[in-house]
Amino acid sequence: MVTLEDLKHEATKVLKNGKVKYVIGYQNGTDQYKAMPAFLKDADEAEKLVWNPSCVHNLTKFLVDESRRKKGEREPDERPVGIVVKGCDSRAINVLIQEKFISRDDVHIIGVSCESTGVVDENKLAKKLKGKRVKKVDYGEDGHFVVTTEEGRVNIPAEEVLAERCLECKANYPVVYDVFLGDKEKKKIDDPYKSVQKIEGMSTEERWKFWKEQLGRCIRCYACRSACPMCYCDECVVDTINFVVEPDTKAEEKAQKIKWIEKSPTGSENIVYHLVRAMHLAGRCIDCGECERVCPLDIPIRFLNKKLEKEAQKLFGYEVGFDPDIPSLVSSFKDEDPEDFIR
Amino acid sequence: MMAEEFEPKIVAFLCKWCSSAGSDLAGVSRMEYPPNVVPIQVMCSGSVSPLYILSAFKKGADGVLVSGCHPGDCHYIKGNFYARRRIALVKELLEFIGLDPERFQMSWVSAAEGVKYTQIIKDFVNVLKPMGPQTKLRRSQ
Repeated sequence: MVTLEDLKHEATKVLKNGKVKYVIGYQNGTDQYKAMPAFLKDADEAEKLVWNPSCVHNLTKFLVDESRRKKGEREPDERPVGIVVKGCDSRAINVLIQEKFISRDDVHIIGVSCESTGVVDENKLAKKLKGKRVKKVDYGEDGHFVVTTEEGRVNIPAEEVLAERCLECKANYPVVYDVFLGDKEKKKIDDPYKSVQKIEGMSTEERWKFWKEQLGRCIRCYACRSACPMCYCDECVVDTINFVVEPDTKAEEKAQKIKWIEKSPTGSENIVYHLVRAMHLAGRCIDCGECERVCPLDIPIRFLNKKLEKEAQKLFGYEVGFDPDIPSLVSSFKDEDPEDFIR
Repeated sequence: MMAEEFEPKIVAFLCKWCSSAGSDLAGVSRMEYPPNVVPIQVMCSGSVSPLYILSAFKKGADGVLVSGCHPGDCHYIKGNFYARRRIALVKELLEFIGLDPERFQMSWVSAAEGVKYTQIIKDFVNVLKPMGPQTKLRRSQ
C-alpha cells in the first residue's frame, strides 16, 4: 500500500537537497473529490500531495512541455524534474526516452502502484452513487474503493467504477522508476483486448455504422491531441498552423500548400483525422486513456489505439513502453513479418 | 436508356523502381488491362504515408493499391519492409472502422512482371465492380 507519508517524504527529500527542479504530483482539486496536477517548488509544499483513485491524469504530458521550455532557455536548469507516475504513465516515459525526446536523466521518477486496482471513472462513479455528492475516494482493502459521500462512507468494489483502461491494464505498477512505493502486485485481467474484440465481432456494416456515428460527433476541438503525451509534434499534419497568410502571400503559394484535411468537422474529415492520429500512435500509445477522458463528446477514441496496440502485439510481437532500448514499431521490421495480405 | 456499368476508379501508388517499371512493361508490351487505374509514381513503397491512402479514399477512390518491389529487391534495401509493416496496420485499421477490406490492396510487382500487374488490376476491377462506388470515406459535398 502506498502511504501518503512515504510519498510526501520522497518529494520533500528531493526538493530539500535540490536534486530536482520541481516535483509534479497530484493535489486536491477544486471540483469535489477530484485531484488535479500539482507543481511543487519548495519542500514545505509537499504537504499538498495526495494519492487516491481520482488521480487520473497522465502527468508525463508536462515533461513534454518542460522539454520544450528547456530548449528555449538560454541557461537551462539541467536538474531533473520529479514526477509521480502510475503504471501507464511510466510506460509513457519509456516511450519518450525510446524516441529520444527526453533522456532518462531529465526525470526523477517516483513510481506509485495502483494497489492492484486502478483509477476511478467519474461517470461510472456518479452513476453508481446515483448522483450523490462525493467528498473523497480512497484505496481500500481487497480491490475496493472507500468512497466518502455526504451520507457517510461506502465500500465499492473497484471493478464497478474503474476506468475502462484500468480494466484492461497490462501492468498496474511502474516499469521504470527511481523510487517505488507500494507493491508490485499484478492485477488479474482475463483479456487485455476485450473491448476491441466486441467491435471486431460486429459485421463490417455494423462497425461502419458505429464509427460513423461516434466520429461524426467530433467537433475537432483537438482535446485528445492536447492531452496526449505522445502528440508532441511542433506542427500537426492535420492542423497546419505555421503557414501564415499575409497580404503579400500569393495565390499560388496558398494553392501549393497541401491541405490533407479540411478543418471543418464533417464526417469524412473527422474520420481521417482520427485514423491519422491512431496511425501516428501505433506502437507508441501506452493506453493511458487520457484522449477518451478529455473528450467532451465521449467518443471512444481509445478503441482505435487499442486496436493497433493489439495488432502490433499479434502481428509483430511488439509490446509498447516496457523497454526503451528497442527500436520503435514502425522504424523497424523483421524478415518474418506477415505478408499473407500482399499479392 | 441502358444503365451504364459502374466503372471503379483505382488509385495505384507504384514504386518507381519496380512496380512502375512493371506497369510500363505492360504498356510497351501492348498488354490489355482495364483503364480504371490512376497510377501515381512514388519513390518507394516505404514512402507511402497512410495519409496518401486515406486522402485517395477521401477524394473518391473506389480502391487503393500500393505496390512495391519484392522483399529483398528494394532499391533502398529495406523500404518495402517498412511498407509491409505500416500497410498491415493501415489495413487492419481500415477494416476496423468498417471499410470493406477488399478496397485496399497491396502487391509486390517487379519490373519484369507486366503480366502480374495486368492480372492484379483485372482482379481488382472485378472485385470492385459489384461493390459499387465507395461512399464511406468520400468527402461529403
